[in-house]
Parts: sequence; structure tokens; C-alpha cells
Amino acid sequence: MKIYTKKYELLSAYVDDELSDTEIRKLEDELRFSKDLQEKLDDLKRVKKLTSKSVKSVPENHYFDTRVSAAIRNDGPWLFRIRKYIPVVGIVALSIALMVVLKVNPGIINSLLERQKSNISEFYTQNLKPLLYAADLTNEDIFNFAFYHQLPLDNQKSQYLLLGTGQNGSQFCEIKSNYKFNNTNNLDKFVKGLNLNAIQKQQVDSILSNYAIDLQSQVLVNEKNTVAINSNIWNYNKALIADLVSFAARANKEEMRNVLPAGFDSYYNNGSVARLVNEVRSENGNKYIFITPDTIFSDSFNFDKEKFSQDMKKLNEEMKKMNKSGENFSFNFHMDSNFVNKTKIPSYNGQFKIYVDSNSCLIHLPQVFVPQIQIPNLDSMSANIGKAADLFRSFSFNFPEMSKGKNFNYKYFYSDSGKGYNFNFRVFGLDSTFNFKNHKMDSMFGKNFRRFNFNSPDSLKGFYKSFFGDSTAFNQREIEKELQQVQRQLELFQKQMDKLQKQFPKNEKHLKSSKSVEI
Amino acid sequence: MKNKKKKTELQLPQILNLDDDFSLIKRFIEGDESTFNLLVVRHKEKVRNIIYLTLNNHELVDDIAQEVFLTVYKNLGRFRFESQFTTWLYRITINKCKDHLRKIKIRSIFTSIKDEEEDFGYSTSPDEKDVAEIVRKAIDQLPEKLKIPLLLKDIEGLSYQEIAESIQCEIGTVKSRIFRAREGLRNILKPYEKELM
Repeated sequence: MKIYTKKYELLSAYVDDELSDTEIRKLEDELRFSKDLQEKLDDLKRVKKLTSKSVKSVPENHYFDTRVSAAIRNDGPWLFRIRKYIPVVGIVALSIALMVVLKVNPGIINSLLERQKSNISEFYTQNLKPLLYAADLTNEDIFNFAFYHQLPLDNQKSQYLLLGTGQNGSQFCEIKSNYKFNNTNNLDKFVKGLNLNAIQKQQVDSILSNYAIDLQSQVLVNEKNTVAINSNIWNYNKALIADLVSFAARANKEEMRNVLPAGFDSYYNNGSVARLVNEVRSENGNKYIFITPDTIFSDSFNFDKEKFSQDMKKLNEEMKKMNKSGENFSFNFHMDSNFVNKTKIPSYNGQFKIYVDSNSCLIHLPQVFVPQIQIPNLDSMSANIGKAADLFRSFSFNFPEMSKGKNFNYKYFYSDSGKGYNFNFRVFGLDSTFNFKNHKMDSMFGKNFRRFNFNSPDSLKGFYKSFFGDSTAFNQREIEKELQQVQRQLELFQKQMDKLQKQFPKNEKHLKSSKSVEI
Repeated sequence: MKNKKKKTELQLPQILNLDDDFSLIKRFIEGDESTFNLLVVRHKEKVRNIIYLTLNNHELVDDIAQEVFLTVYKNLGRFRFESQFTTWLYRITINKCKDHLRKIKIRSIFTSIKDEEEDFGYSTSPDEKDVAEIVRKAIDQLPEKLKIPLLLKDIEGLSYQEIAESIQCEIGTVKSRIFRAREGLRNILKPYEKELM
């Protein structure tokens, strides 16, 4: 069987043409005499034919080499493979580096932000000019600023800066484009309503002109479409109202009630307008809100009013020499469309809540942003305080006339300065010696009198008493009484201040509703 | 005369020979990776056919052929030029096919008996009329070690030497396996003798 199998294998190889010439000759000799081998050869040839015809080639794939190239790129050498991870590795490496940097120098982000902020600030704060210069504000505009809380930003009066106070007491400002203000001639109505004479009219104009000058540094604009609003402007508004209401009360109290709405009572019921105005003006208002086409931020900015005035004067003189009239730059505020799109929903920009659309930009300020200057009612106290102060000023020792021959002399000089006291009681008119101004007395109270056998002016009084009996006019009781009175007045003042603090937001709310009231 | 000779040389078609594969491999080893694509273009159809014949599944052809060329790409730098490139390539191809068949075998352990019966149901189908299909399915019934040398010989036309190198065995073994494959095939096809005549 094994022999046959070997023969058949040779036959199979013969069919495949895989035999050597010798093997072929040998096998062909055997085939001639073996029918069995011939049949087997036929079988093998038939099977080979069937096999060869049974299988068709797989359809050609023209994109196979491209596919292999792509696979090689994705599964190439490690350097090739790692390439696709480079972005991820890069991000991870950057994150780690950032973490290390922040760990080593935690303030770096803040300093970068500060630098960025300072760059932005520097860009937008260049060449800022007062609004008055840009928009040619009239007294009517200033008057409307007082009672309607709005200022035109341009000469065409199509853009307005609106100021207001929200229900929670926080302030807001808004820049409105395509805004029409229909209430005109309000100043004229005010003048006529109060039946003011020519002098009084001049006084009103004078008040408004003064505030116009002050408002110069309160609202600044530049050609980069920046509007800078001083945080103290809300207080200026209060002071201006108080000034105008106070004036109206003095000029025509009866008619004033018909001209002004009830909401302004809080302004004219107190007579401390001057005090309020002084306080507002003394406020160091260098904190500005910068509204720019693409951002809103707050920063400190010192506007040199004097320098600006001098520059303008110089410019006008040069223009005159050249026979040219000075041209105001035209201001037309518009927000960047990207910024508008970004802030279609209310957004918080650090401290401000901002609402922006194509025609307006509304900014809500945090309550702490505007310096809170309240309207105090100091009238009743001021007289008493003044009186007490007068008593202090006239505080003196009175010595009785001394007979000649009685004399004693105290001298004391400080070793560390040229100052000293020389009490020569031989000289008459000792009153003049002690009738010093307060500050001199104060300096005396702080000194050490031990060297003179008395510790304080009280013991000095005792000392004199031993010499002159009870004749000294050292009215201690009266001073104590006055001091107690001052104490009481100060406590009362404190209570009133607290009360005002609580009432003020309500008054402001009143003030807001007064927009609808015709003057 | 010289010009005529030059023209004749230029007009000669580029005939591929063994040196061509070797020169391409050398260039690849020297760093010219673009030559690998030429090798792929030149041998892809042969490789794909071997896979198709071995697995009888055209859906797997490109995936396994891709694996084959990736293996070649990774190992071409270590090619020793001791045998033909095609022999080495076919060996890799056959091994990849064997790996795949091994995986299928392992998977089949976890498949249901019903499925297995369905897979081999064709062998008794009396309605089978297509001769090529009958033979193809008969070949599939052969064991891998017989089927592969038979197909490499009868379909791909490889020599016994090439087959021996590809499947890593002796030439005598190849000779024996091919004969046994034919014998087996003849026995399987006996019931269809009439259809096959």
C-alpha cells in the first residue's frame, strides 16, 4: 500500500510538472504497462482541472495600497505613532508646567491680568477730554442732568448718558443711542414757575455754570469711543439737586411746592446744602468706569483739569492767530458688534452687571462703587456746636488786679527746643498772657507742670486760689455744662445720621419716580 | 544605428524580476520609504488571493492583507536576501491566515452546535448544481495543512519549493500533502460525479 501511495504521489507531482527528467522517464515507462497507474493519473488530472477552475481570483482593490500607506502612518515606528499623541502630550505638559509655575509663583496670573488690564486701560484712557468740550453742554443740559439724570454725549443730542438708582439702592448708568428726550425748556419752566427776577435767574445760571465746570472732570470722552464716568457723578447729581432746590426754597418757597415734585423734600428740608456740596467736591473722585466699544472696566484715572484748560486756551489762541475757528471733535459712541453679541444676556464683567444691545449699554454698579455721601440735617446742631466752639475759643483765665510789690516769676524752658513759658506775675494785664488761642492752651495742657508744684491747669487753679482766694473767674462749671451739651448734640447727630442712612434709599426711589413729573 | 538601439532600449517594457524586489528593499533599508509602496502595488493581488483561497472569505481579505504588509513593513529592515522576497511574503501571508483560522477555531468552541451544523450543511445539499461552488466547498472541507499546499499549487501556481518555504516544511511533505489533498477531494466529490462530468 505504501509503495502504491509513493507511486501515486509521484503521479501527482508528475501532473504538477515537479519531477526531475529521470523521475519522469522512469514513471512514464511504468505508466505504459500499468492500467491502474494510468487510471490514477487520469483521476489526478481531472481533480487538478476541477480545482484550478473552481476558484476565481478575488476582485482587485485599487485602493489597497493607499489603505496600507494609511495603516503604516498610523502604525509605523514609535516616533511615527507618537506623532498623533503630540497634541495631547503637549497639553498635558503645558498643564503640568502651568501648575508648577503657579505653585512657585501664585501671583503670576494676577500680575498678567493686571498688566493686561493696565494695557487696556492705557489704550482707552489716552486723550480723554471733558464731555463739555465734546457735546457743548448748555445750562438746560445741566438742569436736565439734575432732575432727569441725563447728559447728552454729542452735539446732535442723539446719544445720552443716563444715570439712575435701582430699587436696591445701587446705581446704574446707561448709554443710549437714537434716544429722543422730549421734555424741553425745563430750565425756562423752572424760572417762570418760580417767578424769578433777572438777578435770581442769573444766580440759577451761575449755579448751573459752576456745576458744568465740575462735570467736566466727571464725564470724559475720547476719539476711541470711550466714555469715562466718575463714580462721584451720582453725588454731584445729588448736590446739584440740593443746590437748586435750596435756591428755589429761598426764592419762592410757596411756588416751589408747585414746581417741584414731593420727592425732593429731603433735599430742601435740610439747609445743609453747602456742607453736602463741599463734601461732594472734596471727595477724591479718581475712580472712573470706562465704557469702551469692546469692554467695560473701572480704574483710577487722574484728569488734570488745569492742564487741559491751559492746553485748550493755548490751542484756541493758536487757532485765532491762524484765523481758524476751533473745531470740537465729534463723539459718536457705538459698541463693537462682537461685544454686543457676547453680552446679549446680562453678563457680569468683574464688578458690573452689563446689558448691551445695539442701541444701549446699561451698567449696574455694585453698591460700594459710588462713594456714599448722605444728605445730613445739621441745622439744629450747627448753632449749638458753633456756640460751644465759641466758648472754647474765649476760654481764658482771669486774674484779679494785684497790688504792687507782690510779684513772683516762673520761668521754664525746654531743653530740646527753643520753646518755653515765662510767667511773670509782676506785670499787670496777665489776662493777655493767658488769653491765648486754643492751640496754645492745648499745648500747655500737655506739658509737665510738676516742676512748678502743680500737675495740670486744675492744680494751677488751686495754686492761684491759695494766693487770690475765690476771686478767679475760672468758670469750670460752665465749661462742664457746655461740654455735656456738646456731648448730647453729638449723640443726637449720630442718631440722625443713622436714621438718614436708612431713609436715603427710599428717597432715591422717590427721586426716580419723579422722572414723570413735569417741571 | 546607435540612436536606433537607444530607441529600442527605451521602448522595452520594464520587466519585473527578483532583482527588482531586492533593489526596492535595499532602497527601503537605505531610507527611501516610498519604495515600500511599489512592493505593495506589485504583490498585493497575489497576497490577497492567497488569503482569499485560504480563508474563502473575501470580506477578510483586505484586513488580513493589510496586517501582512504591516508586518512586512516592520520587518523589512531585517530582510536577509537569502530567499526570494515573495517566499518570505507568502510565508507571512500563510502564517497570518493560520493565525486567523486558529482564532476562529478558538471562537468556535464557544459557538453553539447548531451553528456548526449550519456551517457544514452544504456538504449534503442535493440541490447543489454549480460545479465550481461544489468543488470550492469540497476544498474547504479539507484540513488546512492539505488545502493550503493544494491551492498554492493549483490556483497560484507556486512551485513545490516555494510552497515548502512558504509553509516551512520539506518538499517531500508538500508533494505528499498535495496528493493527499487530491485524494481527499476526489472522495468528497464522489457523490457529485454525475454533475462534475
